Order: sequence, then structure tokens, then C-alpha cells
Amino acid sequence: MPKSQFLDPKECRKSGMIHFEDIPVNQYNKTIEEESKIYTKADFMRIYRDMAIIREFETMLYSIKTTSSYNGVDYNNPGPAHLSTGQEASAVGQAYILDKDDFIFGSHRSHGEILAKGLSCIEKLDDKELYTIMEEFFDGAILKVIEDEKLSVKELAIEFLIYGALAEIFARTTGFNRGLGGSMHAFFTPFGIYPNNAIVGGSGTIALGAALYKKVNEKKGLVICNIGDASLGCGPVWEAMNMSVMDQFHQLWDEAHSGGLPLIFNIFDNMYGMGGQTIGETMGYNMPARIGAGIAPNQMHAERVDGYNPLAVIDAMRRKKELIDKKEGPVLLDVLTYRVTGHSPSDASSYRTPEEIEAWVNEDVLKSFSAKLIDAKIATKEEFDAIHADVTALITRACKLAVDESVSPRMDLKANPKMLEDLMFSNGKIAKMEDRACDVLMPKEENPRVKQIAKKERYAFDANGKPVSKNKVYQLRDGIFEAILDKFYEDPTLVAYGEDNRDWGGAFAVYRGLTEAIPYHRFFNSPISEAAIVGSAVGYAMCGGRAIVELMYCDFLGRAGDEVFNQLAKWQSMSAGILKMPVVLRISVGSKYGAQHSQDWSSMIAHIPGLKCVFPTTPYDAKGLMNTALNGTDPVIFFESQRIYDVGEQFVKEGVPEGSYEIPFGEPDVKKVGTDVTILTIGATLYRALDAAKILEEKYGISAEVIDARSIVPFNYDKVIESVKKTGRIVLASDACARGSILNDIAQNISEVCFDDLDAPVCVVGARNWITPCYELDADFFPQADWIIDTIHEKIMPIPGYTPNGNFTDGEKLRRAKLGV
Amino acid sequence: MATPVIMPRQGQSVESCIIAEWNKKKGDKVEIGDVLFSYETDKASFEETAKVGGTLLEIFFEEGDDVPCLLNVCVIGDEGEDVSAFRPEGAEAAEAVEEKPAETVAAPVVTATVTATAGSEMKISPRAKNLAERSCANLNLVEATGPNGRVIERDIEKLIAEGKCTTYAAQGADAVSGTGIGGRVSTADLASAPAAVVAPVDNGLDYEEVKHSNIRKVIAKSMHNSLSNMAQLTFNTTFDATAILNYRKLLKAQGEAYGMDKVTINDMILFAVSRVLMNNPEFNAHYYDDKMLLFKNVHLGVATDTERGLMVPTIFNANKMSLKEISNQAKSVCGMCRNGACSPDLLKGGTFTVSNLGSMGVESFTPIINPPQVAILGVCATTTRVREVNGEIKTYPAMGLSLTFDHRALDGAPVARFLKELVVALENFSMVLGA
Repeated sequence: MPKSQFLDPKECRKSGMIHFEDIPVNQYNKTIEEESKIYTKADFMRIYRDMAIIREFETMLYSIKTTSSYNGVDYNNPGPAHLSTGQEASAVGQAYILDKDDFIFGSHRSHGEILAKGLSCIEKLDDKELYTIMEEFFDGAILKVIEDEKLSVKELAIEFLIYGALAEIFARTTGFNRGLGGSMHAFFTPFGIYPNNAIVGGSGTIALGAALYKKVNEKKGLVICNIGDASLGCGPVWEAMNMSVMDQFHQLWDEAHSGGLPLIFNIFDNMYGMGGQTIGETMGYNMPARIGAGIAPNQMHAERVDGYNPLAVIDAMRRKKELIDKKEGPVLLDVLTYRVTGHSPSDASSYRTPEEIEAWVNEDVLKSFSAKLIDAKIATKEEFDAIHADVTALITRACKLAVDESVSPRMDLKANPKMLEDLMFSNGKIAKMEDRACDVLMPKEENPRVKQIAKKERYAFDANGKPVSKNKVYQLRDGIFEAILDKFYEDPTLVAYGEDNRDWGGAFAVYRGLTEAIPYHRFFNSPISEAAIVGSAVGYAMCGGRAIVELMYCDFLGRAGDEVFNQLAKWQSMSAGILKMPVVLRISVGSKYGAQHSQDWSSMIAHIPGLKCVFPTTPYDAKGLMNTALNGTDPVIFFESQRIYDVGEQFVKEGVPEGSYEIPFGEPDVKKVGTDVTILTIGATLYRALDAAKILEEKYGISAEVIDARSIVPFNYDKVIESVKKTGRIVLASDACARGSILNDIAQNISEVCFDDLDAPVCVVGARNWITPCYELDADFFPQADWIIDTIHEKIMPIPGYTPNGNFTDGEKLRRAKLGV
Repeated sequence: MATPVIMPRQGQSVESCIIAEWNKKKGDKVEIGDVLFSYETDKASFEETAKVGGTLLEIFFEEGDDVPCLLNVCVIGDEGEDVSAFRPEGAEAAEAVEEKPAETVAAPVVTATVTATAGSEMKISPRAKNLAERSCANLNLVEATGPNGRVIERDIEKLIAEGKCTTYAAQGADAVSGTGIGGRVSTADLASAPAAVVAPVDNGLDYEEVKHSNIRKVIAKSMHNSLSNMAQLTFNTTFDATAILNYRKLLKAQGEAYGMDKVTINDMILFAVSRVLMNNPEFNAHYYDDKMLLFKNVHLGVATDTERGLMVPTIFNANKMSLKEISNQAKSVCGMCRNGACSPDLLKGGTFTVSNLGSMGVESFTPIINPPQVAILGVCATTTRVREVNGEIKTYPAMGLSLTFDHRALDGAPVARFLKELVVALENFSMVLGA
């Protein structure tokens, strides 16, 4: 909290009451006659048509899934299909007023939303724009399949939309995401359709990030987070709602950027989470609209709307959009609906009665809407029948094409494995995501931290070889700061946030000086909501921005598990390269703070495909690697160690350059040359390895080569192989617990590649497989210099005259393994 | 954790080894490096040292047992641990394992070139192995200093520094070409290596080093002692073997009914010697610096050629035995020696020794006295000689005798007389038969 805000005890302790406003429930009650003032017949009929398209699309999929056939087209689809039959009005109603600048994010059950939003955009875009989109998307690959000169551009675009979505569901390279997303992830950004998410509530934090992107960068449009009622059981959704209403938007952000986020949390309330009934069984809120009152004083303008009436939904959307335009967002909309089909086609509906389904079928959105229009004499039954005939023909055409291997092939990964390999990273180099002026508060040179650093020694030793004092030496944290500050003055989209980033300057003083330099909307404090911090960065980046976010301690990674492992890591490749993910996630590995604040979990990151991972240990490397991370387009997990934020540069004699430079990812660095044994380290263990090397050399005449991995993913083995060929021996060490450490993976690869050069097994020294005990017992838990020497003595080459301090024998190793400790 | 000790495979053609001696017994504490037992192959003897410390929990084979290679011999561990899992199948029946002739050895376990004799038991790092290969270091001489007895690079470097290398040419003889990745020799290559390449044990040297077996050590010591401490000389003569050869023919043709058909020429000589010695007690004696022991009965040593080396079992009280009894007893004790089953008690107590090389064509030799005996009779080959009988040249079968005696105990003339008496007895065998 900034000093500008005063917590007055007198105010805080005053007696009073919290007041709530009534939350409207299904208040829409207009007749068709009244609505006819707003809607033309064509509008009504288009609403009906869009619902009919969705209905037929889902019916087709249901038929394919359950009978392997639809309207004469035979096909077996082994993939998922979570259908939204019955929910058509809620989707079409929502999309009706939206255009391509409005972004929707969805769930596993979002076919209807995709189609509705796409159809709405097609209606609003002019032919030229539409055709350009189709022509440019994947170089016209989808357009080529459905191209038909007899069709108008709008008709063609509808064919394009239906086919692109279906080909994606059927995992074809002509799908919207080359078949890499599938049913639960299909999206099409040119129409403002952003990723749907197979993780329940996964879109909560991502949509928040998208709304941040719109706000920070003053972009047109609003953002809709389409999530189900069951996602309200998910922590990250609550984190996202809480963070989306932060007071600072109104109280601290500058005038141009103040006000609420352009974000609608739209809850498609079909009253089931798979089979778990959210009303009456697994939740207690009764109606999701209620929770808005708990989030913010404006109750998020929460309202429950009858999602079985498209006009009621459109009405609500119009009113909510107005609020957002007045910067009074975010908004919570509870759209009541019901899915008539099961959670998936294998659902036996064991949790509900046929009578219940029957009752909802009787209220069917298509039947009731057409009945009203017929009653109001706006259209005839024949007209609706004609719509159905057209729609069935449309879906049948798309289906025929989508199952046809000759026009809709799958990726041939046997013939061309690089197709997917090349999509794992974008490997771009983009200095700024947009070319415009950067919002900053002062010229860089005037920054107090910059001035302070200018007085520091950029090499750790003076002319006489004596170490420069801590206060005078340029530290590792300075290296990170310089790179980030430079980027703030270069990329206008860059934002940095996390816990205690502003004012405090980051828990470990990396950001000291940024508060003075960067305005709130680019640099702010988040709530203690790791999932929202990381998930929002994912959303921010996929919309076109660049973000640096932070987990104060690596131990909090679990709190952002899904956001790191399933969202940050996957969207570039799941989008077939359409989305970029320029996010740097700084993760600080703790020390001194016990079992929940001292863990190096870089191995978990390394295990997940799609993340780059670096762990610099010197000021020079930290600055160079941060520059590389910030110039790239891939998600980078940037590990830092609290043990060494204050180290000076001991290896680059010229000192850390003042200007910008990059250190390529994946290149380990030889920190000390040697001939007899190689020690490869990850993280702060480097300095203990150097101690070990010193003892080996001075006491035992053994020359150790010490290599700092610097990067974990990617990793170029060349230098390590070269070293092992020379020495024939290698020990790998890091502060991560030994079991499951990425070191074992690296060791295995070295064993395979260098087998004939090895004089001993490749040995790994990690921390014990225990909880981290108190700091005073550090030496019993984390690898020490003598652990490395002991290992060399026991497993690699007995050192004459050396007495090991610990037990690094095979027997002890197996004993511990047997006990799991 | 209980650790079994196996019978190592020493060299590629070895199927089994004989346990020569146990240095530890069941229940003994052992430390790493302690000699557990010594064992012999047909060529060499070895000592097995403990690789782990603990208590010798169980011994599965006894001294003299012929143990197939790689079978568990004993178990070291903590007291009270169960060793039943380590008991090799047929441990009790181990004696029944027959030595197979060299021609039928199983597929040889050749490792890559340089480790041929070092054997599959040698632990060596890939790097050390490669260096040894490049530098032609002689792995037979390497001392392993790596963990768990592994040969590591520095051990090879030491060999090189000490010049313990051989030539490429010497190594090349049994080189196996590798078909593995990067030319590595895989086990498949070894299995398919041509037998001709594999059969001779080529360790890269122009000699083969064979350690002394215990028996060889005993023989060497005894022989050297004999020659260096005695005044030995040998008298050679021949005798007309017509009588014993005819008698042998007779027995072979008609002796079966009396169990005499297997009586050999050597048996007859033993018999004759046993009788003549009774007339010449100074030959049936032990010599000591201050005295002679003149034995009242004849205990005949019979020099026996065995796979393990020379052994001399004794036929006690031969003077009291009939020819048939001597023959049977000779077969029995010699057979036991050849089977390695001879009781040590039968290998001592002799008062005179007969050594027969006649079947191998030796015409005369100088047998060496088995101290403290005073003489040894060498029986040589039978050759056809001529002599004049009534003005005619006649041929006759002449069998050689070489009698070595200790001049300290005996003078030449009595020895000549003794030899003459023996010749007469053999030429007139029917006469002694009745004696």
C-alpha cells in the first residue's frame, strides 16, 4: 500500500453496516411487440438462424459420437465433444452485440459461443475485411477447402466458420488451430474468439489478463470470461474476480488509465458441474449472481438473466456493455441455462431424472422463440422450416469436408515430426510488441537507482585482486534491474506486477527504483494470488503484450500450478503458433526460511514441454539472460536465488557492460577451467562447487572444471561433452532435492553420449529428500563443497589421503531409496 | 546385507576350480582384503580375498572340492542373516563335477582385445579401457584403485608410465571387430567371434604366466631338497624281460579266473622289488644324519603322474602282499591320486620308491630320491637287444632299470649287487613268485 493512502484508525474502527443492493433475477419481461421497435424481422430471423446452426452443429456431433454417422456421412470421432445443446440462446444472446474487438474466452463446452461470436462478427464485418481474414489465415488453407464462387462473402464466411471449427474438433490441419487444440480449445482470434479452456475455470485468470491488456494499452472492446457455474468452486476464478476489482484501478492509476476493467465474468449457469449439481448439492450460493455482492461494493453489477430467452440475454449485454464503457466494470452476469445433452456423449445422466430433462426440453429455446415470432405474426412456420433445411445442408457440407482426408488431412508427424516440434516455441525476437511511446515517469538517467548503480564497481575485484565490498559492488539484482528498466523504456506494452513489486521494490530489492520510473498501469502490486498473477500474464501476452510477473518464492509455484503448467506452457503450441507468449516469470528460490520457503523446483518446470527455463548465478549472466528473455516471444521461467542476489561479477573481468547485450539461452558457461573432473551446477550451488574445486586443487592436486548450466531448457550439451571428453569424470550438483532432479536427466544424457569417455559413473549431488530444515542446518541438507569431494572420492576416484565426511556410498543411496527419504 | 562370494572364472577356458585351502572357517570375522581361500585351476592357483567385511556365515564347499566357476562358494554378512538363498544348486554334489577336456570348453568369454585374460570379472571404466586399448597397456599387470575395485584411467596411466605395454601386433591376434554403435564390441560380436581366433589364450604376451599350484610348490621344494642335501647317483642296467612279458601274456590270456588279468608289468616289478628289498634292508630304509632306520616291512612308494603333478602314494606292507594284492592296491591308490581323492595319509610313509617311465619310451633316467628314503628305482622302456647265444645272434626284450641311491647311505658295490639280485629275480620271475 502506498504512503499516499492513510489507514485512519478512527475511520477503521467506526461502527456501521455493510449495505447490499438487490440483485435482479430474470427481470426481463418485454414482449416481442415491444422488442420489434429495436429488432427488424431480419434481426429476429438471424437470431433464430444462429441458434439453429449451433443446435444442428451439436446434434451432428452427438450423432457422430453416438452412431458414427450424420446425415449419410460416416465418421468415428474418438476425441471429446462436450455439447451445449439447450444453451444456444445464452450464446447467441451474448454474441449479438459483440464485434471482433470484443474478446471472448471460454470453457470445455464452448462450441456454441465460438459459432455465435463468429456469426455475429461475420454479420458486422464488411466483405473486404472478411475476405482478407479468410485469405490470410494460414495463407488461405481453410478458405481453399470451402471456396465456392456461387456463395457471397458472408455465406462463404459462415461455411468457413463452421468448417474451421469442425475440422479443429476432428483434429485436422485445416482446423482453426491445425487440429492441435481440438473440441475443448478451438478458437479463432480474427473474430475475437480467444482460447477456450479444458481446465474448469481456466479462463478466469486469462480473461483478467486480456482485460488488463485492453486497459493498459487503451485498446477497443471488452473481454468476456465465459465460465460455468461449477468453476466457481475453483480458487483461481476467485483470485481473478478479486484481482479484477482492485481499488488501485480507481484510486491509484493515472487519469488516462483509471477506472474499472472492461471485463464480464459471464457464468453460463447450467446448474451442473459434470454431474455434480451446483444448486442443492456442491455449492451454497444458490444463484451465482449472489457472489458479486461479496467481491466488490458495486456488487460487480451482478444480475441473473434468463438464458433461455435470447432477447433477455441481449438486453442484459447491452446494459452491461454500457457500464463497462463508463469504466464501471468488471461485471458479473449469471446466465441461467440448461444443457439437455449429457456432460459428454458417454454421460448416462445418472444424476438427473428424465422428467427434469423433459421439462427443459419443453421450454426449448428454439421452439419457444419461433412460437413467439409466429404468434406475433413476424414469421411463419415455413420460414423456420426453411432455415432448418439450410442449416442442415450447411452442417452436412462442413461435415463431409471435415472427415475427408484428401482435403482435411491430419498432421503427418511420422513424415514430418518437425511440424509439432517447430510449434513448441516461437523463438521470435521482438524488441517491442508495439511501436509507440512508452509511458514512463522520468528520464532513465534521473532514476535514483540508476544513479546509485553508476557508482558501483561492475567487477567483483579491485585492481589488486581484492574483493570490492558488498555495498560498492554491482550485484546480481542490479543486473536483473538494468535489463528490465531498459525494456520498460523500449517496449510500451511491458508490464510488471506481482506481490510487493511497487513501493517495496520487490521482496529482494530487484525492483528498487522502478516505482519512481514507471506509472501504476505498467508496474503494480497484485494481491497475493499466484494463480491470478501468472494466469493474467498469460492472457495479457496472448493478446499482444509483454509481461514480467513474479512468484516471490519458488515454493508458491504450486499455487500457480495450472497457470504455469497448463496455460503458460501450452498456448503457443495449442494455437499452432497463432498466439505468442512473451512472458517472463521470475521465480525466486529462497533460503533461510524453512521447508516452505527454500525449495528449488526448476526440475518441475523442466518437465513441462513448452517452457524455457534459465537460472543465472552471476550479474553478467543475469542481465544477459534477462535481456534475451525480454526480447523473445516465448514463456521464460527465470529462476533467481536469494543466496546470491548480492554477488558481484567474479568471472567477466571487464565487468558487467552498461549497455544491452544478450546471452543466448541453452549455453552453459565454463566458470573455471580444469582437466581432471568436471562439476556441472545449476543455480547457486555453483559457488560451493568452486569451493570444492579450490580444495581439490590445493589439497589434492586434482584440477576441476566447473561449468554453470545457466539454462535448463533449452540446453546445449556441446560444452559439457567437450569437458567430459577431456576429464572423463563429472559430478552434477544443485540445491534441488536429488530425487527427480533435472540433474538426473542431464546425467543420463551425458552417460549415453559420453559413455566411452567416462572413467566413472556420472554422479549427481542434490539436496536430501527431506523437508528443508532451519537455516542453521543448511549444511546437512543442501549440497556442500565436501559433498562434492566425497562423491568424487567414493564413486569416481578414491583420493589418496582424503577422508570423506558424509556417506555417499551405493549402499547408503539404496537404503535411503528403499525408505523413500 | 549378506554378500555371496563366487568362484571366480580365471581365464576363459576354466570351467571349475578346486578349493585348495580355506584360510577362514565358518563363523570367522573377515575384513576386506582378507584371504578367504586359495583355489587352483589346472594351471594355476589363486587366492580369493574378501571384497566386503563381516562374518563368514556359510561355506558351501570344502577343501578339495571342484567348484564350477561363478557358483557361490561362501557368504559373508552379519551374524544371523539367512544365507539359504545363496546356497548353490548341487553344492553337496560338487565333487561329481568332472573336469572336461580342453577341447570341449564352452563358448569362451572373451571381452574386448585387451581384457582377454583380465577376464570378465575385471571392472574397468570405459575410459580406462579405451586408454588401455590405445596405449596397449597390459591389463594383466594393472592395479585397480577405483571405487569397488574398478580399474580407472589413472591405473592405466600408471601402467603406461611404468612401460607395461605390449605391441599392437601382439594384441591383434584375437581382436574382435565390433559391430555396435561407434564400433563398440558388443556381446553379440563376442559370441560370433570365430573359434580359431578365440581358442588360444592370447594375453598379448609371448609367454603364459602360470602360478604354482600348491602341489607344485611341494614337489619343487621336495625335489630341490633331495638333490641339494643328498649324494645321489644312478646305476643303469637292463634285464631280459622275456619271463615277465610271457607271464604277463599268460595272465592276460588266462588270468581272469583268478582276477589276475589286469596285473601289469609294473605290478610285477613292484612285487619283485618288495621281495628283493626284504633281503636288503639297508635299501628299505630312511637315512638321517646320525642314523638309518631299517624298516621291517616294505612300504612301496609308487610315483604317479596326475593332472595336478607328480604324486607318490604308498603301498604299505607290500612285502606281505601277493602279486594280485599289490596290483589291486597299486590301482587303487594311483586311481585316487589321479582323481584328486587321495588321502594325505597315503602320500607319506614310503620306504622305497618305484618310478616307471617305461611306457613313455624313456630308456634311462635319473630318478630323484624321495627323502628320507635312500634309493629309488626307475623303470625304463623295453627295447629289443641282441646277444650271442651259442654262437648265434638272438634278440631279446631288454627292459631298463635306473637305480638312484644316496651314497651317504650306501656304497656302490652293494648297490650293484642289489641291482644284480633284482635283475635275477625279474629274469626268473617264477622263482620270486613262490617266495
